Amino acid sequence: MAVPDLEVAKPGWEAGALYDTFKTNAGIVSARVDRAADNTEAALKIKEIILQTGAKKVVAAPSPLVDSLLPDDLWAAGTGPALHRKDLRRHAPDAGVGISAFDLAIVETGTLVQDATNLDCRLVSTLPPVHVALVPTDRIVPTLQDALELYGRDPDGLPPYLAFISGPSRTADIERVLTIGVHGPSELYIIFIDRPGGETV
Amino acid sequence: MSDTSIKGDIRAALSNENLRGALGRFADDYLESRQAAYRNKDFNDLRDKIAEIKSRAAGRMEELAERFAAEAARRGAKVFRAETAGQARDYILNLARERGVKTIVKSKSMASEEIHLNRYLAEAGMEVVETDLGEWIIQLCGQRPSHMVLPAIHMTRGQVAGIFSRETGEELPPEISRLVKVARENLRQKFLKAELGISGANIAVAETGTLVMVTNEGNGRLTTTLPPLHVAVVGLEKLVERFIDAVPILEALPRSATSQQLTSYVTMLTGPAPAVDASGSPVQKEMHIVLLNNGRTEMQSDPVFKEALQCIRCASCLNVCPVFQLVGGHVFGYVYTGSIGSVLTAFFNGLENAAEIQSLCLGCQRCKDFCPAKINLPRLINDLRTRIAQQSGLSLPQRLFLKKVLTNRSLFHGLLRAAAVGQKPFVKEGTVRHLPFFLAGQASVRNLPALAEEPLRNWFNRYAAREAEEKAGKGAAREADKRDSKQENNQETRKESKPQSKVESTTENKAGDAAEGAAYRAKTEKEAGRKTGSKARPRAGLFAGCLTDFIYPEIGISMVKVLESTGFEVVFPRGQTCCGYPARQLGAPEVMAEVARQNLAVFEDAGADYILTPCPTCTHALKNIYPELSAGDPALQARAAAMAGKVCDFAELVYRQIKDGTAPGLRLKALNKKVTYHDSCHLKRSLGITLEPRELLKTAGAKLVEMPYADRCCGFGGSYFLKYPELSAQILDQKLDCIRKTGAGLVAVECPGCLMQLRKGLKERGEKAVEARFLAEILADQL
Ligand code: SF4
Repeated sequence: MAVPDLEVAKPGWEAGALYDTFKTNAGIVSARVDRAADNTEAALKIKEIILQTGAKKVVAAPSPLVDSLLPDDLWAAGTGPALHRKDLRRHAPDAGVGISAFDLAIVETGTLVQDATNLDCRLVSTLPPVHVALVPTDRIVPTLQDALELYGRDPDGLPPYLAFISGPSRTADIERVLTIGVHGPSELYIIFIDRPGGETV
Repeated sequence: MSDTSIKGDIRAALSNENLRGALGRFADDYLESRQAAYRNKDFNDLRDKIAEIKSRAAGRMEELAERFAAEAARRGAKVFRAETAGQARDYILNLARERGVKTIVKSKSMASEEIHLNRYLAEAGMEVVETDLGEWIIQLCGQRPSHMVLPAIHMTRGQVAGIFSRETGEELPPEISRLVKVARENLRQKFLKAELGISGANIAVAETGTLVMVTNEGNGRLTTTLPPLHVAVVGLEKLVERFIDAVPILEALPRSATSQQLTSYVTMLTGPAPAVDASGSPVQKEMHIVLLNNGRTEMQSDPVFKEALQCIRCASCLNVCPVFQLVGGHVFGYVYTGSIGSVLTAFFNGLENAAEIQSLCLGCQRCKDFCPAKINLPRLINDLRTRIAQQSGLSLPQRLFLKKVLTNRSLFHGLLRAAAVGQKPFVKEGTVRHLPFFLAGQASVRNLPALAEEPLRNWFNRYAAREAEEKAGKGAAREADKRDSKQENNQETRKESKPQSKVESTTENKAGDAAEGAAYRAKTEKEAGRKTGSKARPRAGLFAGCLTDFIYPEIGISMVKVLESTGFEVVFPRGQTCCGYPARQLGAPEVMAEVARQNLAVFEDAGADYILTPCPTCTHALKNIYPELSAGDPALQARAAAMAGKVCDFAELVYRQIKDGTAPGLRLKALNKKVTYHDSCHLKRSLGITLEPRELLKTAGAKLVEMPYADRCCGFGGSYFLKYPELSAQILDQKLDCIRKTGAGLVAVECPGCLMQLRKGLKERGEKAVEARFLAEILADQL
């Protein structure tokens, strides 16, 4: 999952303030945002979410960050839901939770950005009703313009499938009543990780 | 569509309570939520950027299409350039056949609706499933979307429950969350088995061959992810040059369309991404992009209509349209609806098919304020109107009137005078129909005012004579004026001897007038004394416009009084005639050009420093349209521009003079009344006047109470209220409700058309506690 060589931080951007504002804005579009100091804490939070949903099956799109957070022995054999990282076309449709890593977060709109060229990224973030998104905290940019400028620097390096996600899926097609969760997930959890050990950023 | 069928559709729509309730509530909510969505963005800055990006792209459409095709192909997509709808359909059908496709999932795409793709594929035996919730509802019940962004806005949850129950064979309750779940479950099965996904795109980036899709439900992501074959149908107007050009469009589209900062999903596709088949084995993903022309290059080569290619399909122009709010999209009869729909239909379906739907436009110009692509929709529709009229021709009486009567002022005014007299026994019938803008009207509408017994021009004769007398006394008469008015007088008397004598027989009125005149003279003499002494006063030339001249002369008289008291000399050049705007509306711009030349000459002779008209439409004509009309004749255009420079609105001038201190402040008795102000569409949107009338009302001591949606049209629209009386009446009704909410006993307007409409409505409602009056009248009363 080649993230273009993004130089994310600009002078004057302060991760803490960016995170706080992101949390507010993503909250407005019904995403739930949390922050973990390191991978260990993040793994605990993920486990909590999974237990809360009561999912029997979890799918994760492989990436260095996801792999380092979710070891195969996340649960002692037989004590937790099945975790699948392969053959996701078969497993994602009836999984309760999907997990994937993201490349950027945009403060202004509470948006996550992901190079979703890898099919697994799309399967786990579209099919299960709950999606858990992981983002390194130092990957927050202020605006959509900033994000597109980063990707636009190298037009030849644009990934075939670049996904922007702001909150869970939604509709207002019946009587204009906002309803969360249509074809995509109805719940989106975002976990920022301050020191993502396994990921080379 | 025939005239009768559109009128039938309008009646059906107006009697559909669901539709009207839903659209009406939406219209109100939309304004608020949209504004909230833009709270951290400068809308005007954004629309400037979009207009620049899109007009630049439209100007180089072919070049960008080639570049896009090459870049997308380089990244593995197959690009097909479809010149016609038929070519696009055939390409997609053949492809689907070759790949043995049985089930197709579609995410919402206007372009595929434009080419009626579903029907075509279904006829070939394929199952085509719309997966956008609103589109699916519409598909299941065999209707057409009624709105570009909210296709099923006209339906209730109960109706949707009925439709879904039929589809699933399960009795479903009218619970929205449950219905959405049913859609998810049912459509999920289709996604998982479909062999082909068809989508549209909101932006196509030439530099990188990227397609950008803006969606909310997640069906767009599934459509482009699960089936191993993807076809995107993309109109050429979606092209932009650079990747970064997508930014302002992505910033404006969600805010304008759905009042969101950004939609849940934005998907950027640059060449095919990996896919697997239904069994999970990796397959080569195929991505086909059908670049659709279907009339777009023709639009691009049109100097006026190329602007329509800037459209980003946000549907704001529908949401704020007072007519759309009442009738919804079905009445428009084609895929694209509302203001932009009229223009697009003309190009995609032929000019003749746009004839009826463009006539639904009131001309209130509200859409112009909201368009994030900065398209001058009113201008496009106006031009469309002219072209349609020129193609279908004027009716015989219209042609006769416009070409023979309107261009011959003395004949025109002579007829009006004759009508004024002739109306006497039939005043109820409302002989205002003799005025030019009533030409297009057919229906019979009641409660119209009668023609005035004495037109403003005749009152002014007497007034000018008095002025001249006074001046002669002081030895300061302007000879030219006297000569002018004497000549005119003779002419008028000769031609109108019969009507004049009749008017004179109504002694009652005359006595009243004389008394008023005397009182007024005394006052102005006093005023003059306190003014600048012998220093020449600025000269304001009054351009009355037909409505004020012949129906509401009291408006003009009030203006004269106020202007006098703020230190102006007022002249009424008698050779002035109709501004010609109605002729242009009827599709005869050459008639307007002819009267423009006449008015120009008359006002040049008058030597006015300012030219004022009580009618915003006339002001707009004199100020903005006359210079346009004389393009191609530099000498004439320079003269028109010189005149345009002097034209201003009454409130604008008076307020400016007072504020600058160049004129003595208005000495007004305090009005001490609750007053509300209605913005005339042309005054606000063609001339940008909103502050000045309000400030003047406050100066007069009025307690100004804003009504909700003060700038929403009253439904007059020139001849509109005769052509579509039911629509006009409904819009008027909404306006009157807003007025009533203020609790004000007086509604001030600065447009004689609005005045006529509001008075008509108040009368029909039997509303005695509210009075509609012209701003100048209100001020003059407090002098
Ligand atoms: S014309 Fe303007 S307002 Fe109407 S849909 Fe297009 S972009 Fe939106």
